[in-house]
Amino acid sequence: MDLFANLLMGLELAINPINIAYLLVGSMVGMIVGVIPGFGPSAGLAILLPITIGMDPVGATMMLAAIYYGSMYGGTITSILLNTPGESATVASTFDGYPMAKAGRAGPALVMQAVASFVGGTVGVIMITLLAPAFAQVSRSFGPPEYFLLAAMGMLTLVVMIGNHWKLGVISALIGFALGTVGVDLETGQGRYTFGSPDLIGGIYFIPIAIGLFGLGELFYAFYSGMHKSESGGLIDYSKEKEFWPNRNDFLSTRWTMVRGSILGFVVGVMPGAGATIASLMAYSTERSLSKTPENFGKGEMAGLVAPESANNAASSGAMIPLLTLGIPGSASTAVLLAAFIMWGLRPGPLFMGQNPELAWGLIASMYLGNVALLAISIFAIPLFVQIIKVPYRILGPVIVVICTLGTFVVHASFVEVGLMFAAGIAGFFMRLYGFSPAALVLALVLGPLAEQALRQTLTISRGSFGIFLDRPASVWIMVVTAALLLILPIMGKIGSRAGKAERAGG
Amino acid sequence: MTKLNTTFKTGALALLVAAPLAVATPAIAQQYPDPAQTLDWTIAFGPGGGNDIMARTIVEILNTYDLYPGDIALENRAGGSGAVGWGYLANQAGSAYGISTTSGSFITTPLQADTGWAITDFTPIALLAADDLVLVVNGDSPIQNLDEFIAFAQANPISISGIGTVNVDFIVPALFAQEAGFEFEYISFNAMADQITAVLSGAVDAMMSNPGEILGLIDSGDLRPLVFTGRSTPEALAGVPNFAELGIGVEVSMPRGLILAPDAPAEAQEFWIETMRRVVETPEWQAYITNNTLTPTILFGDDFRDFLANTQEDFATVLREVGAID
Amino acid sequence: MRIAFLLTVLGGAIFYTYIAFTDLGFMTRTGRLGPGFFPRVVGLGIVVFTLWALFDALRDARLSAQGAAVTGPGDAHSTGRWRDAATLMGLAVGYGILLPIFGGFVATVIYMLIALSIINSGKHLLNVILAIVIPAGVYLLFDRILNASMPPAMFDIIPF
Repeated sequence: MDLFANLLMGLELAINPINIAYLLVGSMVGMIVGVIPGFGPSAGLAILLPITIGMDPVGATMMLAAIYYGSMYGGTITSILLNTPGESATVASTFDGYPMAKAGRAGPALVMQAVASFVGGTVGVIMITLLAPAFAQVSRSFGPPEYFLLAAMGMLTLVVMIGNHWKLGVISALIGFALGTVGVDLETGQGRYTFGSPDLIGGIYFIPIAIGLFGLGELFYAFYSGMHKSESGGLIDYSKEKEFWPNRNDFLSTRWTMVRGSILGFVVGVMPGAGATIASLMAYSTERSLSKTPENFGKGEMAGLVAPESANNAASSGAMIPLLTLGIPGSASTAVLLAAFIMWGLRPGPLFMGQNPELAWGLIASMYLGNVALLAISIFAIPLFVQIIKVPYRILGPVIVVICTLGTFVVHASFVEVGLMFAAGIAGFFMRLYGFSPAALVLALVLGPLAEQALRQTLTISRGSFGIFLDRPASVWIMVVTAALLLILPIMGKIGSRAGKAERAGG
Repeated sequence: MTKLNTTFKTGALALLVAAPLAVATPAIAQQYPDPAQTLDWTIAFGPGGGNDIMARTIVEILNTYDLYPGDIALENRAGGSGAVGWGYLANQAGSAYGISTTSGSFITTPLQADTGWAITDFTPIALLAADDLVLVVNGDSPIQNLDEFIAFAQANPISISGIGTVNVDFIVPALFAQEAGFEFEYISFNAMADQITAVLSGAVDAMMSNPGEILGLIDSGDLRPLVFTGRSTPEALAGVPNFAELGIGVEVSMPRGLILAPDAPAEAQEFWIETMRRVVETPEWQAYITNNTLTPTILFGDDFRDFLANTQEDFATVLREVGAID
Repeated sequence: MRIAFLLTVLGGAIFYTYIAFTDLGFMTRTGRLGPGFFPRVVGLGIVVFTLWALFDALRDARLSAQGAAVTGPGDAHSTGRWRDAATLMGLAVGYGILLPIFGGFVATVIYMLIALSIINSGKHLLNVILAIVIPAGVYLLFDRILNASMPPAMFDIIPF
């Protein structure tokens, strides 16, 4: 079959000492870039792009792509250890990852996130190989009405994030929406809350807010609760140090979670612009609804970490489909890859894979190898990372401030964003203290502008009529699927939890 | 701390090579540039963007052809949509060694915020290229050419999309619609991906875009180009008519040029005008123009300043009409 | 403190909503949703919910004032906790102020020296080593390996 001939050709290209070297360098850089909060894949790619100007496009693409999906592996490490998501796609990984680390299960959490990333990445690239043309059709049927529905679906997951104090959770989400309206209004070009400041024209970026609220907020709270006075790490309980590796049950109980997360993540990742963040959130809330023990979510449930991790890695593979098959960048990171293609004089588009089979298939084949390499690097690196947080908190604390600050600066080289990060850090401390939901705030900040813009675009196109949602087959499909999920998931969840309770009662 | 310091050797050999090239103004070449001074090159945006790549391409060419004898320190001073970087340059008034590349935001940012500087403050060197646009419709659309498009737009409500409102993507179709006598709904996007799928999915009727990112979709027939808004159609869009050929008097485009600090010495301005005359002749620069599908539009000195001022005025007029700015 | 925090949120929300009603249009001139549509809805929402939460907080405060045993933060033990959190916040903000003045490397060294001498007091040698090794490591990683710029200084003290 053509497919396998192409894949073999790609593999031959990829398994070449120089390209393997590029791949490994890219994977390592991706890991490091992912680990540093703020310094995510798009900033890493943009900064390293100028270096590739004189390189061979095939090797350079393999390296850039490895940085891109490699950062998804590294991005979760700080989510788990420090409650600091490196990027929006790993916010969901803090929900259960950090409680697990606090309960002394940092080792198993880190290993399982690497495994979940590997499964997600590999399922993703298998689906690219087999189904790229079919999914290209899906991604090209998405216009503003569909994006609005997708963002609205993502917002449903806010309900899960809101936490125990629902009023405070609602306030948190609304503050996120409010921050999302800052900047020049897309539709009219009028400034909203910019007060003539050029720094606010582009709006408030979520990275400084997320790092401040989660990273610094948690750090201030740790000092408030006196962790820095402890001689050992203090943050993490090492009484169970022998349990570094996940046990059989960790694998067995999450095997279907990984598969579901991977498929869901891939499908959402294919939609240009929706991406890994929405994918990881949807995977998290789906697993919570399906779980026999939904009450354990947010308290260190393995499925709650594995679901978003497999989903965000599969989504980053999925985002390669519109790039390769249509020349459309689905995310900030793939936009940098597109810029690289253009810089080399290539023309990404529907004919791209046919005209440049070496590049396209070399890239796809290298993703199989890259995921294996990253799993190996992760497993090797995890013991090192666990050592780092054994450092007493009174030394680690000041260092975390440095990393968060410089990581924020690097993204846009902006002192204003550093200031925003500090403000969010102080606010995050009080939110944490009084039971607000920083997660709901950040998600609303990400999803709010998407939803507002898509809705206003839709209504401008339709001249004010909501009928457009029923006129377009793609949007009808999304509504049907959403309605089905809303109806089925709670029922399945109830059956599941009843069965679970019965089991426990019986056993 | 500076990064990516691009150092140019000032050895005797380089001077021997450079001296015969500098025949135009030999007397000035002795005074400016002073090789002991470091040229402070501001990139008003982060790495990897259009402005950044253009600046690095020019420096690479200066380097390759030994066109500048001193050290050049390239620094990304991002923030406030360019306001920070160009503000930094504005504060170096009178200096002969502060330089920066311009892009669309050079015109639009002062319209949207209090930047503390105006585009006419700076010492103009040269306009090197312009970002022109192409108007495309879905490949399945019954509209085959611009005449049919205008006829359709006059008879039916039509939507045209673009990136942002304070941008050529909106200004150009707005001026064009006035001239051709039709009305349209402008659908503003903030990313290329959403906008392309909006056209491919049939949600919007037409799109204004830089050609570079959609050439692949034009080649495959998924998007049909109707008109190019520049003065001469680039090779990659051969066969597409342009505004100048059709006699449509819309001449607004995003300028990519080079500026010095305000009130820079005249010899510095002359040195750079001469240097850029050579830069634009190099094959590297031609490759940059082709790969990015830019229109080579070259204006020097005060002509460049007038161009900037006129473009900004066109923007301001249209934006005031729609209420985007006061 | 909880009430003070909620009052701060309320103040911000009222300002936000005020601007939404005075500066931003509800509809555009062509009759579409205007730039002020969402800010008005969101702003009013925050005001209403914050007032509600404030009401709850005041009621709780009254109840706990009546009750004999005070549980929340406010006892002698918590002053120390507040002080520690506030110290780190102050240090972080101070670091943010030093950055644009001295640049990434020097500011980090100064901040680390001060922060460690306060938080990890007494271990002078270790603190000095850390205050040099960590910024140097970060500089190497960011500036040299990853090619990302560290914050530039207003005055360049060091030549690289």
